Amino acid sequence: MIYGDKDLGVIVQNITGRQGTFHTELMNAYAREVGGRGVVAGVAPGKAGREVHGVPVYNTVKDALAEHDATASVIFVPGGAAGDSIMEAAHAGIDLAVVITEHIPVHDAMSAIAYAKLHDCTVIGPNCPGFLSPGECKLGIMPAHLATRGAVGVVSRSGTLTYEVVDELTRAGIGQSTVVGIGGDPVIGQTFVDVLARFEEDPQTKAVVVIGEVGGNLEEEGVRSTSLPVVTYIAGVSAPPEKRMGHAGAIIEGGEGDARSKVRRLAALGVPVASRPSEIPGLIREVL
Amino acid sequence: MKMLEYEAKPIFSTYGIPVPKGVLIRAPEEVTAHLPEFGDSVVMKAQVDVGGRGKAGGVLFADATSAVRTARELFSREIKGIPVKEILVEERLPIEHEYYVSIAIDRSSKQPVILFADAGGVEIESDVTAVRKVVVSPLLRDIPPFLMRELLGGAPKELAPVINSLYHVFQEKDAMLAEINPLVTTPRGVYAADAKLIVDDNALARQGIEVNRDLSEREREAERHGFSYVELDGTIGVIGNGAGLTMSTLDLIEYYQGRAANFLDVGGGADQERVKHAVRLVASMPKVSVIVVNLLGGITRCDEVAKGIIAAGVTPPVIVRMAGTNEEEGRRLLSECGYRMLESMDAAVKAAMEARS
Repeated sequence: MIYGDKDLGVIVQNITGRQGTFHTELMNAYAREVGGRGVVAGVAPGKAGREVHGVPVYNTVKDALAEHDATASVIFVPGGAAGDSIMEAAHAGIDLAVVITEHIPVHDAMSAIAYAKLHDCTVIGPNCPGFLSPGECKLGIMPAHLATRGAVGVVSRSGTLTYEVVDELTRAGIGQSTVVGIGGDPVIGQTFVDVLARFEEDPQTKAVVVIGEVGGNLEEEGVRSTSLPVVTYIAGVSAPPEKRMGHAGAIIEGGEGDARSKVRRLAALGVPVASRPSEIPGLIREVL
Repeated sequence: MKMLEYEAKPIFSTYGIPVPKGVLIRAPEEVTAHLPEFGDSVVMKAQVDVGGRGKAGGVLFADATSAVRTARELFSREIKGIPVKEILVEERLPIEHEYYVSIAIDRSSKQPVILFADAGGVEIESDVTAVRKVVVSPLLRDIPPFLMRELLGGAPKELAPVINSLYHVFQEKDAMLAEINPLVTTPRGVYAADAKLIVDDNALARQGIEVNRDLSEREREAERHGFSYVELDGTIGVIGNGAGLTMSTLDLIEYYQGRAANFLDVGGGADQERVKHAVRLVASMPKVSVIVVNLLGGITRCDEVAKGIIAAGVTPPVIVRMAGTNEEEGRRLLSECGYRMLESMDAAVKAAMEARS
C-alpha cells in the first residue's frame, strides 16, 4: 500500500459540515473494521469543544495536532476557502492533505499546492475521492465495500469511474493494493507520475491501472515514467472538443489533449489500452 | 468563461496595458459618429468566439470613405459559422513589429507558464519552436527580472512592463488564459492589438461575473438543479453520476455503434427529486428514444433513485444500471413498475441499443 497504513492518524477539516460529518463516520467505520486508527480529531473554526460521532472538534489544525498524533488531513472545506485550509494544514505540520473539495478556483489550488510543497506536505486532489488501501485505511469518500486487498494499484482522475473499475477488478477476483483518485481539476497535487513513483516503491503493487480522461497529457507522462506493468483506460473518446482547452494549452501540448490522440500515443508506447472498463480485468491478467 | 476582445481590452487597460482607441458597434451606420476620433484609417474586428478570426475573414481595414460599406460587409458575414452581431472598430496602429505573449496554466508543473515569441500574429500556432517559455511560482506577485530576461531574449525591454501587467491580470482576474497576439511596437509605444482572456469558471462569483450568457432553456434548467449537462446530436439519453462514469457511458454507446443525445452528470448523493428532474429533463428532448441511467457509488440509495425514475413517469423507455445502498429494494420497485434494471453498464447500454427506434 502507499500513502499510509492502519497506523495513520487522520484529522478532518470542516468536520461539522454535512459531507465532513457523514464521511468521518464512514472512514471510522472502516478503521474499526480493519483495526486502524482512523479520524482522531476534527477542525471547524469557532466550534471547538463539540464532538462529531465521538470525534473531538478544534478551532484550528494547530490546536488539533497539539492534542492528537495525526499526520494526515482530509479536507471538506468549500471551494473559496479550501486553498487556505490546505495551507493551514501544511503550515501546522500535516504531511498528507487529501482535498475532496470541488470547485476550488485554480489559482487558489496552484498557490496552496506550491505553499504545501515548501512545507513538505503532499497534496492529493482537489476534486478527488481520496484513497483506499483495502484492509489498511481509507481517507476520503470511496465506497470501501467494492474493494478487496491485492496486488493491483489503481490511479484515476475520476471518482465514480474508479469505483466502476474497482468493482470490475473485485468481481474478477483481482485485488487492489491502493486505489487513488488524484482529482479531475486542471491543477492537482499528486499527478500520475507521483502516484506511479510510489507504486514503484511499494512491494505489494505488481501492476497498475491508469484511468485518465480528456484534457492535458499527464497520463502519458505517468506511463512513460514507470517500469511497472500498466493497463490504461481513457474516458471521453466520444466527447466533443472542449472549449475550456484554450489556445495556449494547445500550443504547449502541440494540439494533443483529446482522448483519441491520448489513446493513440499510449498504444504507441506499447501500453494496453482498454476500450471499455469491462476489458480492464482481462488486460491486467495478461500483464501480471 | 471566455471574454470577447471588446470585454478583455478595458480590463487590460485598467492594468496599464495600452490598447488602441476603439468603439463597439452593433449596426454599420454607428461607425460614422466615431470616425473623427480614429484618424484616417480604422480596423474592424468581428466580435465572435472563434480562433483564427483574421484568416476566416473577421478582420477588415477601411478609411473614412469606405467605413460604413466595410462595416456592412462585415456584418453580413459568418465567421466559421457564427454570424457577426458586434464589431470592434479601432484606430489603425502604425505597427513596427509584432510579438506574441500568452500566460496559461501548466498542468504538469502546476504553475503559470508564460509563452513569448518574437514573431506574433496569425501564424504563431503553427510554429511552436519559435516560442520561448518560462514557468513562474504562483507564490510570486511579479515576474522576476531574470525570468523576464530569459523570456524576452533580444526583444525590446519596453515590452517587460506590459508582460508583467498581463501577469497581474492573469493572477487577479483568476484567468485560465491571458494572451496578447499580437503585442505590437509602434513609434508611440507598445500596444495590445488584440486581447484574449478566459476566466476560471470556479472563480466567476468572486470576480463578479454573471454566468453563462448563451444557455438554452434546458441548459438553464440543468444549471438550476446543479447538473453538468451538455447536449449532443444522438438519440440515446444518458444520466450518470460523476463526470468520468458519465463520459465512459457515452463512450460505451459509441463503442456499440450508437449516438448519445446528451451528457448529464447528476452529481453526488442523487436523491429522488434530483433523479426525477434529471429524467424529465433528458426526456424533454424530442430526439430522445431511450434513456440509460448509470449510477454507482457508496452513498447513492438505489430505492431513492428508483422512486425518482418512477415519479418522473416519462414516455421513452428508461434502462437502469445502479449499484449502491438498498440495491435490492430499488430493483423490486423498478420491476414492479415495468422498468428494467441491469447488472453492468455494458448490459444496460446494449439493452438501450435494442430498445431505441
